[in-house]
Amino acid sequence: MKITKEIIERIEGEATLELEWKNQRISYAKIKFLNYRAIEDILKDKHMLDSLMITPRVCGICSHSHVTATINAIEDSYKNIGIELQLTDKAKYIRELVLNAEKIQNHIKWFYFLILPELFKINRGKFADTEPFKDREWFEAQSAIADILKMGSIFSGQWPHGSYLMSGGVTCDPLQSDITNAKNFLLSVQEFCENRLYGCDIDEFLQIESMSDLMNFDSTLDTAVTIMKELEFNAIGRSYDRFISFGNYMDINKPLKAIKTRVFNANVKFAKESLENSFFEDKKKGFTYSKSAVYKDDFYEVGPLARLMINKDPLIRDCHRRCSDSVISRITARAKEIAILLKRSDFVLKNIDIKEKSLNIPKFLPKNITSQGIGVVEAARGTLIHKIFVEEGKITKFDIIPPTVWNLGNGSPKKPSIAQKAIIGLDSIEKADFVFKSFDICSVCTTQ
Amino acid sequence: MSTFHSKKTIIWIQGITCNGDSHSFFNYPGMKNFAKNFDIIYHPLLLSDYSLDSILKSTQRFDYLIVEGSFTKVRDYIDRGGHSFEELIENLSKRVEYIICAGSCASFGGIFAQRDKQNITGALFSGGEEGGYWDKNKKVINIPGCPLHPKWLVDTLFMLKDGNTVLLDEYLRPKEEFSYLVHHGCLRNEYFEWKVDTKNFGEKEGCLFYEQGCRGPMTHANCNKILWNEVSSKTRAGSPCLGCTEPDFPRDNVYETKTLMSLPLAPYGISKRAYYTVTGIAKSFKIERLEKKLIEGYNENN
Repeated sequence: MKITKEIIERIEGEATLELEWKNQRISYAKIKFLNYRAIEDILKDKHMLDSLMITPRVCGICSHSHVTATINAIEDSYKNIGIELQLTDKAKYIRELVLNAEKIQNHIKWFYFLILPELFKINRGKFADTEPFKDREWFEAQSAIADILKMGSIFSGQWPHGSYLMSGGVTCDPLQSDITNAKNFLLSVQEFCENRLYGCDIDEFLQIESMSDLMNFDSTLDTAVTIMKELEFNAIGRSYDRFISFGNYMDINKPLKAIKTRVFNANVKFAKESLENSFFEDKKKGFTYSKSAVYKDDFYEVGPLARLMINKDPLIRDCHRRCSDSVISRITARAKEIAILLKRSDFVLKNIDIKEKSLNIPKFLPKNITSQGIGVVEAARGTLIHKIFVEEGKITKFDIIPPTVWNLGNGSPKKPSIAQKAIIGLDSIEKADFVFKSFDICSVCTTQ
Repeated sequence: MSTFHSKKTIIWIQGITCNGDSHSFFNYPGMKNFAKNFDIIYHPLLLSDYSLDSILKSTQRFDYLIVEGSFTKVRDYIDRGGHSFEELIENLSKRVEYIICAGSCASFGGIFAQRDKQNITGALFSGGEEGGYWDKNKKVINIPGCPLHPKWLVDTLFMLKDGNTVLLDEYLRPKEEFSYLVHHGCLRNEYFEWKVDTKNFGEKEGCLFYEQGCRGPMTHANCNKILWNEVSSKTRAGSPCLGCTEPDFPRDNVYETKTLMSLPLAPYGISKRAYYTVTGIAKSFKIERLEKKLIEGYNENN
């Protein structure tokens, strides 16, 4: 048996794929994340609120998702001692908007900084306008990323690593002119997506229900899908066709899972982290710092494809009908989610009532509490869970289950993880590399 | 690898990091001008014609080495494509004109140094103590911040490229940016002058220095002059400055002000006598305008 090691570059941090081959096909893949920063240990003995400063530093690309999960966990720990903090709609909308900005940023960046360059490499010439630091469309994408983060930063103070969340709401107190400014930035990003990514008006794009209609527009997304079809990427990267999403998303506010197209209720109490294959379980036999997350012992995919399958999005359902949970479905789902988030952000901005309170706390909010809480949020890459355990105001234990451990953990040859299953059976390193990247990898989150 | 470059060349590597400084850099508003003047030969998150391996094996000289993340000699703490951090830094630091430490981790050790302060440091500092990964290295410029502001990095690169003198402070931070305090340009300055603290988080009015732990008056950075993402800052979003450009970042209990005999510490470079005298006098007056909402009748925050 031949074993090769491939170092996957150009992702958030680095990962190594160790591939085993049989008859020119990959028979097993070990996914290794070799950098570990011990943030859960750093959080121990800190004052509870200091976690709002520390957890954004888990990850530079999804710092707001982490701080949101943390504030949810802190508020849940108050709830568990009988103090329910009532957030105003204004505070809820601002939290959602800031998170939307981060997700839109993530998806545009992933598409233009990572996926397009990879396709460009495979099919040089097709993306004449999108080469990083050289071409017009790449600069436009970079500007769009900066602009959507400006929209969020009006409320969060900065991105990355803003800290604008506090128990009971948000610390910012915007004016009506701030809302107008935010709308301007949102519009400029929407225009970029219309002109380049989608090739049509956003409302028109959101109404597209089939992949054949999607291909009618002259757009970068259309070109990317065309190339992937030519490369037969509709057939690669398929996994278990099982999806899960625990956090609030648009109008869905309960945990749901889907097995193919059938949607079921889920419960976060069945979400578990396994130490199998990791250095934490066995320093010698382990080969990665990444843990694995399972739901009732089974692997489920998280992320935009999962959210849109659960949400019964017509375009993604059509894509799934044709291509199942392949690379094309994953990439199309992320591109589609940008439009959904833009539209939703427009709704949110129109509905923020600045007259409401930013922060709503009872007269007495004990600092030295003893409690525990769970915070869940839908981050760009999927469900993110923080668990906080506090004694007399100090953190005794902090547990972070990032989205990437759902997708990128390691199972066993009999029961491979989501990404392992998607890679096993492929006939080239290039395909394995691309399939792996289709999950939008973030090694800094994966191993904290 | 070509031997001639009209642009200045950059190699960007990472120690123990969250990638936040890279993502902050990607927000730079003048990226076209940057790209006309600088060529990023290698960055871990970007498409490159060269792999890290091929760069390490070459003998090519580069202009600037940007290091993001804490420094360490412990092999177990970091692996970059099969290489230790030591291998990367020893190989590349000798082939560049300047080593730019991007962010507080590379400058002082930062948040990740809390795991093992002995072995996780900045390039030349361990927190505020001299002696980090190296005891001496004349090429080092520190641009701290968690994350750094993209303008701090690019403005410094342009000064170096254009042959301007980059004056540095005692922590090797460019004076152009770090002579300012976060306090400068803060919209809550008048409340600070008259010692009116904010009643709670979530309000435009009041100063965050007295109760909420704000480090603006003792933190070197021009955040409130140039603003973050060109639109805001922590204090403008109602959140205290966390002092992230200083060597003692991250401090403990950040959302509370440490007091001495119920008084906060004096701002940077102001004697206790001067500060407490002025504070006593200012506090003895009640300025009605500053006790009211900035815009009466505008919202219900009372």
